[in-house]
Amino acid sequence: MAVALEESGSLNVLRLEGGIDIASAAELKELLVKALEPGKELRVALGGVTDLDVTAVQLLWAARQKACAAGVGFTFTDSLPEALLGTLNQAGFQSSLFFENNS
Amino acid sequence: MASKADQFKNAFREEGREVLVDLEAALLELNDHHGDAELIGRVFRALHTLKGSGAMFGFEDMATFTHNLETAFDEVRNGRLAVTSELIDLTLSALDQIRAMLEEGEAGAPPADPAACTEILTKVRHLTGKPEKHFIMKSSAPAKTDSGDAPGAEPATATGPVREWLIRFAPGADFLLNGANPLLLLRELGQLGGLAVKASMAALPPLDELDPERCYISWEMVLSTAAGCDAIRDVFIFVEESCELTIETLAASSESISASIADRKDAVSMNAADLTARALEDRRENRGGRRSYDAPDNASSLRVPAAKLDQFVDLVGELVTVQARLSEIAQQHDDPEMAAVSEEIERLTASLRENSMNIRMMPIRATFEKFRRLVHDLARDLGKNVELTIEGAETELDKTVIDQLSDPLMHLIRNSMDHGIEPPEARIKRGKKPIATIHLSARHSGASVLIAVSDDGGGINAEAVRNRAIERGLTTGDAQLTESEIFSFIFQPGFSTAAQVTDVSGRGVGMDVVRQRVDSLRGSTDVASKSGLGTTVTLRLPLTLAIIDGLLVTIGDAFFVLPLANILECIELTRAGIEAANGKHIANVRGEIVPYIRLREHFNIGTPRPEIEQIMIVQTEQGRYGFVVDRVLGDCQTVIKNLGRFYRHVQLVSGATILGDGTVALILDPERLAQDAVRAVLQRTRGRPGAAGGGNRLPPDRSSVKRDANFVSSGPAAGASPQ
Repeated sequence: MAVALEESGSLNVLRLEGGIDIASAAELKELLVKALEPGKELRVALGGVTDLDVTAVQLLWAARQKACAAGVGFTFTDSLPEALLGTLNQAGFQSSLFFENNS
Repeated sequence: MASKADQFKNAFREEGREVLVDLEAALLELNDHHGDAELIGRVFRALHTLKGSGAMFGFEDMATFTHNLETAFDEVRNGRLAVTSELIDLTLSALDQIRAMLEEGEAGAPPADPAACTEILTKVRHLTGKPEKHFIMKSSAPAKTDSGDAPGAEPATATGPVREWLIRFAPGADFLLNGANPLLLLRELGQLGGLAVKASMAALPPLDELDPERCYISWEMVLSTAAGCDAIRDVFIFVEESCELTIETLAASSESISASIADRKDAVSMNAADLTARALEDRRENRGGRRSYDAPDNASSLRVPAAKLDQFVDLVGELVTVQARLSEIAQQHDDPEMAAVSEEIERLTASLRENSMNIRMMPIRATFEKFRRLVHDLARDLGKNVELTIEGAETELDKTVIDQLSDPLMHLIRNSMDHGIEPPEARIKRGKKPIATIHLSARHSGASVLIAVSDDGGGINAEAVRNRAIERGLTTGDAQLTESEIFSFIFQPGFSTAAQVTDVSGRGVGMDVVRQRVDSLRGSTDVASKSGLGTTVTLRLPLTLAIIDGLLVTIGDAFFVLPLANILECIELTRAGIEAANGKHIANVRGEIVPYIRLREHFNIGTPRPEIEQIMIVQTEQGRYGFVVDRVLGDCQTVIKNLGRFYRHVQLVSGATILGDGTVALILDPERLAQDAVRAVLQRTRGRPGAAGGGNRLPPDRSSVKRDANFVSSGPAAGASPQ
């Protein structure tokens, strides 16, 4: 797993790769808090994600809520693998809606 | 985070071991009651749990393997397959492989045998009529926790009407930290039938306040399945204590609606067209919105590694020692405030000590129950019919004692099965029931626990044992030995009267292990046997090994501790009293003649004896004895320290302890002191060397003691008087 924040001008890109689980939860939270800056757009790149667990879903959900409240642009780019979307759907997250590519 | 993953696996291993024990017990019981639906259900649930939870914690080989057995027992449950001894034996063999898979990676654990697994599955499939498939172990190590399809993806079928269940599942604060993964639980639940799931984010705090390792999401689900409540609950069996879980049947509702996620503020989504949302709504109103994280932490028990517990008890032991020093110092300073604090600490320490000891106490049930399998397997191998009966399984013993009991008990049972119990034909000829019995029992007796292994076999041939002992030079042909002395030869290393060495026993290895192990636990063994009727071997073991209540005494400058549990009373011994007994070592305690041992003489302590001495009357296996000491200082909590290898042959002393002022006091072993003193007397009077040679004690013969002129006076009663 890897979580990396790329900051440039008015855009922050948070890139997630591999399995994002409880082991990376603290780091993901830290970077999400850091990345949500007023006046800057945040893009979360999901292209390399192979697995997401509950902690990651919670953090991304809370981050998007915070972005909405603060009027910060928040988008997901790329899509999750089909199998992963299936698992998340099965767990009651309407992942195709949640991880849609707009805020 | 590899170590955390290992922690989860270890936690599962612990739980899995318990499930295996229960599975084994249920299978063995089922062997006697083939049609018992409750037992069949228990076996099925155990297999189901091992499969489901095994997959969740990354033991995929185990999960796949177990799935096949689960399918077989599902067939049994549904009446399509009969319980046979063959199926039970196969499942028992499978259980050994499952155990190996569970322990894989643990030091010293033998790996599972893929060929044996394939053979077992082939036979199981032959029984169930399922198509042949080869079992291929994916890896030697458990696979990644949550990748790939869950094993046993085909749902466990169940007959009966399909019902709808409303399941609410709210993980607790430490749920994720315990290694559980809610997504996998939901997937497993989905295997039971049609599942509609709704995740609720209502409790999710703002990002900045969110604890990233805690699960705030809760779920409401409607499951349509023919499976019962137990099967649903089993999915959550390993996490039930760390979550809030309710399972209710829904009233048959034909109204299926497709509510939309957008209608609900707190729902992330709803994926199901068939979700009976109205029913959910009704229930929600009754629930009062309580969630797991609002609830107090109400786990009724928690699992603590044994090493931590040992460390805790060690620390309590140190505290007891330091507290003794504090009391000593408080006594020297005439300061009432300090004395009050010291007394308070003494009270608390005593309470802490007692509590810490209680934590280590475990019922012996698990140890006893696991011998059912041994008896079952041995009976089959030896062609004997043997029933194991268990009594007093709730008796509690220190964990350390229990841990070391398995081996001695196993040797005793093997010995009984092989040598004690006769083949069915021989039993019938002797007019006995063809089914033999081995009885395991445990009961408290003072500060000891008596554990007995009895059989109703042929008994020990005392003459054969005696002859063998003579052949081996352990005794002489003209030695007058009691039955008890003769039986004690069976504990000699390499001693066997078996004409044939079998796989089970007869090599003479085993019984000496029993004696050694019991000795190392400061216990004793006793054999009683009636020719043709059976044998009982009784192990007397101390309740605890770490800290005991003792009575501190002095002889000259030396301090000794006698375990309080053995002491009945203290009486004074005056010079006048000694004269009244004509110098015989006896005391009259309210009319009862009690022989006593002068420890000063026994230990060759040269200091002059005081005018008035004290006799500690102790209860031993051999009866009441008195030990004469100079002074009794009072009771003390005694932390037992081992004397170390150098003194390992000193048998009269069971350890040492450090007193408050730093002085070392030896802890005496009254049983062995009595045995030793009696043997010394016997040797003097019979004028023969010790029958068993140096370091090997024989149980004394009380009748000989009573005949001994040095011990028992025929004159007037001695003048010792109770204090």
